[in-house]
Amino acid sequence: MEINKDPEFLETQTPPNGLVSFFKLDHLLNIARSNSQWPLTFGLACCAIEFMAAGASRFDLDRFGFGVARPSPRQADLMIVAGTISRKMVPCIKTLYDQMPAPKYVIAHGGCATAGGPFKYPGQYGILEGIDKIIPVNVYIPGCPPRPEALIAGLLELRRLIKEGKTQGTMSPAIIEDSQDARPAEYKNAISRADFRKPPAPPAPPTPPAAPTAAPAQA
Amino acid sequence: MKKWLQGSIKPEEFTEKNIKTAGIHFEALVGQDKIREVAKEFLKQSYYLESLTAVDFQECFEVVYHFNRWETQARVCVKILVGKDANNAPSLSSIYKSAVWFEREVHEMFGITFDGHPGLKNLLLPESSRIHPLLKSFKGEPKGSDVAQSLKLIEEDKRDFEVAYPRSITQQGKDYYLNLGPQHPSTHGVLRILLHLNGERILDGEPIIGYSHRHHEKMMEIQNYLACWPNFGRLDYVGAMSFNFGYARLVETAMGVAPPPRVEAIRVLTTELNRIASHLLWLGTFLMDLGAMTPFFYCFDDREKILDILEMATGERLTYDYFRFGGLDKDFPVEAIAATKQFIPEFKKRLREYDKLISKNVIFLNRVRGMGILTKEDALAYGVTGPMLRASGVALDERRRDPYSLYQHLDFNVPIRTDGDVYARYEVRMQEMEECLKIIAQLVDNLPEGAISSGKLPKNVPKGEYYSAIESARGSFGIYLVSDGSLNPYRIKLRTPSFSNLNAIIDMLPGCFISDAVAVLGSTDIVLPEIDR
Repeated sequence: MEINKDPEFLETQTPPNGLVSFFKLDHLLNIARSNSQWPLTFGLACCAIEFMAAGASRFDLDRFGFGVARPSPRQADLMIVAGTISRKMVPCIKTLYDQMPAPKYVIAHGGCATAGGPFKYPGQYGILEGIDKIIPVNVYIPGCPPRPEALIAGLLELRRLIKEGKTQGTMSPAIIEDSQDARPAEYKNAISRADFRKPPAPPAPPTPPAAPTAAPAQA
Repeated sequence: MKKWLQGSIKPEEFTEKNIKTAGIHFEALVGQDKIREVAKEFLKQSYYLESLTAVDFQECFEVVYHFNRWETQARVCVKILVGKDANNAPSLSSIYKSAVWFEREVHEMFGITFDGHPGLKNLLLPESSRIHPLLKSFKGEPKGSDVAQSLKLIEEDKRDFEVAYPRSITQQGKDYYLNLGPQHPSTHGVLRILLHLNGERILDGEPIIGYSHRHHEKMMEIQNYLACWPNFGRLDYVGAMSFNFGYARLVETAMGVAPPPRVEAIRVLTTELNRIASHLLWLGTFLMDLGAMTPFFYCFDDREKILDILEMATGERLTYDYFRFGGLDKDFPVEAIAATKQFIPEFKKRLREYDKLISKNVIFLNRVRGMGILTKEDALAYGVTGPMLRASGVALDERRRDPYSLYQHLDFNVPIRTDGDVYARYEVRMQEMEECLKIIAQLVDNLPEGAISSGKLPKNVPKGEYYSAIESARGSFGIYLVSDGSLNPYRIKLRTPSFSNLNAIIDMLPGCFISDAVAVLGSTDIVLPEIDR
């Protein structure tokens, strides 16, 4: 069967579970799902180290049943996007997400995965400002990087959402509002090499203003 | 080298520099046609290519080469000029193996073409990217932040990757190709290695990097010197303190500021604690890659104790932002000193336990002995530094080669091994942790009293060029700064240790099995955002 992957087409479709709803069964399934999250072993940057620390001895993610980290996306149902999403990594994350079986959940772990974090500036060329621009997100965890306790809190929040039936896990691409940063950045212009090369003569004018600022250093 | 350069090359410009302030002995501008000759002579004199970068000026580009030696601090700088229109430069890739990656990076960032390079394709940027971000005429690209664009870009990137690496999807006969990563638990981040295999044996492996490129260098050009601090905390997040140290050293030597003694002592103390934490993280994950789960929990337990101490001082667990120009953000608290004193004997006991548990384990030994051998010649050609180089029998440690801060007054050894295999690297790092403990023990009992700041400093760095290097947990971390005297850097080049160390695995992988590749990769102790910058 030919699957129409056009995002605009998919947005018009209603989710399949709107047709028939077995309330009790859904409820039961949600309880089961909420208590057996299998996260994908997947780290991008700094936050991944805190993800590892959360899984290690002190914080012990296993206490909550989140410790079954799977290296393969085909066995996982929870993606913890831990770190900065660089432009080059975007297709890989999308592929990983597409390979996970539904229902699947996503946690944006840290400032970068939420909205670009410290690497966001006007006209930046290197990163994607938030993972929710390509895949839908269930829980956002702020911090740079968030402490392991914050990750645990985020995971428990996701568990609550699933249990209460507030999230079904996603089946289709998200509808995302885009925001553009229109502030001007202070990009530098190239300076003349000839000017830069002859230090003895030109520094004479800038030195007097520099001297008073240097003076308090000794004071 | 100076006499030889002046005698037989006759540089167009030649400037003597002060090694203490500028970080180089001299700077020579040579003709484009001479640079290969110069590089050959430098290699003959066993200099390694420390960094290769470019600076964009109005009239032309300067391509800047830094050469250095293992034994002594002999850093020199050689430059060539490349025109804006005919932007071709001769390639050093046939002389120095490290130049292959360096030149690819300069090519994508500045658009300079290197004649005679084996494959000039993008290194850090996506294969579909056609921008040259480090040009001063590049004023930002809002493309990546748009949703519809992102989905389109995904298709473009996928397509162009297959064009750039046609081998990744084809198969010829018995040989086949396997992608290790970018999502793989043992790549320690987002690294892709394209393995060419015959059965399970690796014929060659090509690392593909850039999956964690966070435009640090461009970002630093548009923000002031103070605002650059968080970037250094996030470059090498496992050993962030030493990267802080590198930046502090660079700007302080450029400004001619000497921090107070208490600041120096606290800096060394926290850096060494962080170095142990970094090595512990390496040990835990390295052994987990080899299939041993228990050490991971032990190592993280010890690491948490260090993080507690550092958290008392800095307020952060991982991405420290603790140093300031000529001082520190906060003082080192009394309770942290008590905790450090308690930590030293505990950790000594733990190290003996690790030694008993791991060092004589037969399974471990069989997997690491004689594996992934790095020879001295390769180490020189790739510019490898840090524990990897010390495991190959070269006692290069920036703390000894060019003692900065308090290191010349401290008593510690630089452990070396001569085998150059995975086991040697393991041993070097284990011994380094003991040496770090030794340094910490010397400092923690007699921290000098006094101020933790040297007062108000100017906001800008004097016009000029500076290079300074420190020993991070992974090797020599150098920063090359071009300052035009304004409030933000004109150009910053980060010479990161893992970049060169990872480059060297191209020659270490052939002949290994896939499972050994994981051991070899683990022993290099790489941090990807530091490589990709």
